[in-house]
Amino acid sequence: MEVTVKKKYSLLKKGGLFFLIILLLAVVWIWYVFNEKYADTTQITPAFSLTALDLIHEFEKNDSLANKKYVEKIMVVSGEVSEVEGVDSTVNIKMADSTSGSYVIFAFQQQDKGLAEKVKVGEKVSIKGSCSGGAFSKILETEFITFKRCAINN
Amino acid sequence: MKKTILLIALVTVTGSIFAKNSVSNSKKEKSAIVPVAKAGPKKTTTSGTITFNATTAKDALPKAENKTVIASIDIDKGTVAFEVIVKNFSFENPMMQDHFNGATWMDSEKFPTASFKGNLTNLSAINFKKDGTYAAQVKGDLTIHGVTKSVTSAGSISVVGGTIKIASDFNIALADYGVNGPAIAAGKVATEPKISVSAEMK
Repeated sequence: MEVTVKKKYSLLKKGGLFFLIILLLAVVWIWYVFNEKYADTTQITPAFSLTALDLIHEFEKNDSLANKKYVEKIMVVSGEVSEVEGVDSTVNIKMADSTSGSYVIFAFQQQDKGLAEKVKVGEKVSIKGSCSGGAFSKILETEFITFKRCAINN
Repeated sequence: MKKTILLIALVTVTGSIFAKNSVSNSKKEKSAIVPVAKAGPKKTTTSGTITFNATTAKDALPKAENKTVIASIDIDKGTVAFEVIVKNFSFENPMMQDHFNGATWMDSEKFPTASFKGNLTNLSAINFKKDGTYAAQVKGDLTIHGVTKSVTSAGSISVVGGTIKIASDFNIALADYGVNGPAIAAGKVATEPKISVSAEMK
């Protein structure tokens, strides 16, 4: 009788310990998910590398297909800077197709804003960032493709 | 022979003068076009900013910023327009960004853009030719999550040397745009987030 009680007590102890470990893991996982920050873009291997003009032409041809292919992918885009546009206290960099007016625009991650501010119009640069997709602008009547969390790649 | 040489020289000199005139005329035409376009009634930017703040006492994560907003203003007609790619709202937290773009929130794969098109209802009170800051009233159609609603908002317009800066803060009721979800019901996301818009147009 005493042995059975001891066995039951031991099982209860093991079960309680298992429950505590699961609870602890859940707490750590929730803490991690809620406090997670995006990784530095410079440290991520890009899924695609292409020129700004090729990217623009692909979106102009079929932006639904291009969105499926590129959205939320880290990409390297190279091209000539057509405009450095002020936004708040920093800049966005644009690469445009001078024929159609369509453009790709890059907003920078905090740690790369300083480098982006040094870029000049006409310079050839390579930029790595997360593609947010493109659409036809009813205001400008051109295709526009946007990137976030960008970094100068060269 | 001398006459032929003289004729060739004359043709060459005359030709080069015409060529020079033609080039300078074309440059003049180009330089004449640019200022007219800049000084025209429609001013635009592709780097406007919209911030979205749906934080509550329970959760400080749902806030984001989009810095690639297309904005335009026609200072003659008083029309104002904004356009944005929803997925370019940048959150600090990856999970929050996934939730924001997910099917229960913005469903940004199905509704990739949000836009506003409206008019300044007090256009006559704003002097775009004189530097200063003016109170502005805007009324128009706001489209979010594929739902279009008529909205009115107050803001300010600053004119500095031909550059126009628009700024406005307002709240939207997510339920009006069909945006619902357990996080909103649980009070982790504000039911009426604050939207701040600013754009500098030249």
